Amino acid sequence: MPFVDASGVVTATLLATIVLYGLGILLPQCCPRHPHLQNLFAHGAATLAAMSGIVLGLSGLFIDAPPVFSLPSTLPLLTIQFRLDPLSAFFVLLISLAGAAVSIYAVGYVREFESRHPIGLLGGLYNAFLLSMTLVVMADDGFLFLILWEIMSIVSYLLVVTEHEKADVRYAGFFYLVMTHVGTAFILVTYLVFFQQTGDFSFEGFRQSIASLPEGFRTIAFLGALIGFGTKAGIIPLHVWLPYAHPAAPSHVSALMSGVMIKTAIYGLIRVYFDFLGGDFPWWWGFTVLAVGAVSALLGVMYALMEHDLKSLLAYHSVENIGIILLGIGAGMIFQTYGLANLAALGLLAGLYHTLNHAVFKSLLFMGAGAVLSTTHTRNMEEYGGLIKTMPWTALFFLVGAVSISGLPPTNGFVSEWLTFQSLFLSFQLPDLLMKIMVPIGAAMLALTGALAVACFAKAFGITFLAMPRSQHAREAKEVAWPMRIGMGLLAVACLALGVAPMVVVPLLDRVTSGFTEATLAGRLVTEGGFALAPGLGIGFASISTPLLAILLIVIVPLTLLGVVLFGGRLRKRLYHTWGCGINLKPRMEYTATGFAQPIRQVFSMIYRPTVKVETEMLEESRYFAKRKTFELSLEPTFQKHLYDPVVRLFNLAAERLRVVQAGSLHLYLSYIFITLLVLLLWVS
Amino acid sequence: MPLSLHPDLGSQLINLCSMLLLLTTFAIVAQRRLSACVDLFALQSLFLAVTAAVVAWFTDSPHIYIAALLTIAIKTVTIPMILKKVIERVNVKREIEFVINIPPSLLICGALVILAFSVTEPIAKLGFLLTRDSLAIALAIVLIGFFMMIARKKAVTQIVGFLMMENGLFLGATASAYGMPLIVELGVFFDVLVAALIIGVYTHRLQDTFDSVDTTKLTGLKE
Repeated sequence: MPFVDASGVVTATLLATIVLYGLGILLPQCCPRHPHLQNLFAHGAATLAAMSGIVLGLSGLFIDAPPVFSLPSTLPLLTIQFRLDPLSAFFVLLISLAGAAVSIYAVGYVREFESRHPIGLLGGLYNAFLLSMTLVVMADDGFLFLILWEIMSIVSYLLVVTEHEKADVRYAGFFYLVMTHVGTAFILVTYLVFFQQTGDFSFEGFRQSIASLPEGFRTIAFLGALIGFGTKAGIIPLHVWLPYAHPAAPSHVSALMSGVMIKTAIYGLIRVYFDFLGGDFPWWWGFTVLAVGAVSALLGVMYALMEHDLKSLLAYHSVENIGIILLGIGAGMIFQTYGLANLAALGLLAGLYHTLNHAVFKSLLFMGAGAVLSTTHTRNMEEYGGLIKTMPWTALFFLVGAVSISGLPPTNGFVSEWLTFQSLFLSFQLPDLLMKIMVPIGAAMLALTGALAVACFAKAFGITFLAMPRSQHAREAKEVAWPMRIGMGLLAVACLALGVAPMVVVPLLDRVTSGFTEATLAGRLVTEGGFALAPGLGIGFASISTPLLAILLIVIVPLTLLGVVLFGGRLRKRLYHTWGCGINLKPRMEYTATGFAQPIRQVFSMIYRPTVKVETEMLEESRYFAKRKTFELSLEPTFQKHLYDPVVRLFNLAAERLRVVQAGSLHLYLSYIFITLLVLLLWVS
Repeated sequence: MPLSLHPDLGSQLINLCSMLLLLTTFAIVAQRRLSACVDLFALQSLFLAVTAAVVAWFTDSPHIYIAALLTIAIKTVTIPMILKKVIERVNVKREIEFVINIPPSLLICGALVILAFSVTEPIAKLGFLLTRDSLAIALAIVLIGFFMMIARKKAVTQIVGFLMMENGLFLGATASAYGMPLIVELGVFFDVLVAALIIGVYTHRLQDTFDSVDTTKLTGLKE
């Protein structure tokens, strides 16, 4: 391995990361009167810390014996211990990679907040958020994990409500806070199941508890983790907070929340399922994860299509991508059940690869949305348009992100979705007939998801960047500051690199999966010569060479052009306005986002349940000529209406009943205590 | 010195003092006038100090003397002074108001004493200290103090109830373990003083806001 003394590097970079994030929290507080300086300190320190985190993650992937760091603790049950095994190292790498780019971007993005918000607080919390995420994936103790998890949740809540003067931001924050705590409660259930078996909160104890854990408790642990981590990850139907909270936060925070924070939940799931529960699953566990993933992916992208708030759209795409990740992991779990270690490793690897990719392109897209937002000051896509002329860099980077998330070559989204497809197709090797039929259905849903995602991003990119500006905001748009362009550019390059060179990434991921599945793929998944991936693993299924694809793309496009020039006859250039049948073209004639999504809304009206209201006001002189037309469209928020509202109503009803107890009388409260005391005294005597 | 006296004298004396404490407690419950209530509390605290001194004498533990002196300084002098000032300032026109009237109050207090004795009986049997019988009385005083807080409307009487509970606790600590470590007792005294001050201020605020120190009016804060 390239590192001479990897464990030394790990210790040094771990310390450096923690100290730098710490500085990022403290330094901005030292100069409260200079917001510009605070901004530089906070995000400069975060950038350096994240870079150190990248080295930490990389070196952690190469170490064979996971290094352990412990600190003395005086609290009972709490052991402050961190462990950097390949899984943790991979997530540290992922967090730091996105964190570094977003921190550079933040230097430019936060500038517009300088006059309105306390930058010391915003920057400090931002650093605390990154630090808590980095530490939570390294925690080696259940109690410590939960504490860090809660810190992460609360800090991110505080970041969401940065613009707390707006009522909808406060509502989004509250919604998020409630959901995340419900999730934590379920995670706690899972951990307590392990704890009651061993009396020990350490992860090592959790691993050993499995041997003696009865089947019923294992199921509780499985479901608790699925619901608890699923809430954070945003699986359907627990996704409802994402489209509120992610758009409400400042964009650089949205990028981290959507790109990185929800990945800590994927970490938690893999840790619990493959590490603690030891990979010995009943078949329906993997199937449940697979089904949840398929439904999340499909419904996520369908709701995204109907969304005209650019950031909400991206938030729904997070639901979709979490679904795709879970498809990979679920397939891996099913294969594990039937002892197909190679395929289990393949499914898990596909899931992890998509986790990394999603972190990169979703952060990139949120940064792009933030760039558009910072110059147009609106999130409504119907008010964008023509931004490619004023913001060419942002447009280019957003396009790279859009191509990635749509899963098109030569970007990273393509590679991981392709791997997921392959692992689903390979399910014909399963001995169980039901699974043989059901798993390919997941693949079909993934295919539909991919197609809809392309449509969605054709809409997102087209309506935002192409054609003519639809509003004054869009006409006045300007290209964003350099730090923001650099931040986006870095991740755009990462999108392409991860897409073209999977043969470099796969061996790294293999170090993670081989720890859980007893199968090493690196040598077999990457074909000899290292130019292609062959997930058939020796049975000659499918193979793909991404560099070749990229080269083909690079070669074919100029070749086609050359052919056109050579054989296509004389080319005459004529620059003129688009022909509009003799009428002057106006932005109002453009295809709207709503119009673009209409066919899909029509096809899936069963799911969307749209309500369309058209009112036409006729001229008084003649009822054949319309004076004004109003069009209103609303979709039924199915999950909120049928799942959440009844629960909320139930709680309100119960609270109303219980209010009698809370009469507001001092004497009554004293009586409660007194009577309790007397009853207890009588009971003991 | 203790040895030259009758062996039972110590425990008899302590029981006597404890009974006096309980008696003053009943007197406070039966009292209609606020200022008399505070005077009786001062008296109760004096008895408490005497009890503590007796315990200190018979057990040869000098640190209880300090606690006894502090009791006199704080509970018989300072706090009654503060309370008198509060009463003067808020100018209580009608005297004590009741949630539960005096005769039923006394009956309930009697029941509480019986309960306290029955609850502590198994513990007292095991005890070997000469103060063991005082534990029941201490618990009774705590319960009655608590009951005072519930049964009286005025904030000042509630302070007195609270301070009575504290006296009961102090007696309990002295009775069951010959007093707490000095540092703890110092802390407790400080706490009680601060509590009395805070509740005094709070009573003023109550008077300013509601034109009354009737805590039942606090229900108006709901919503």
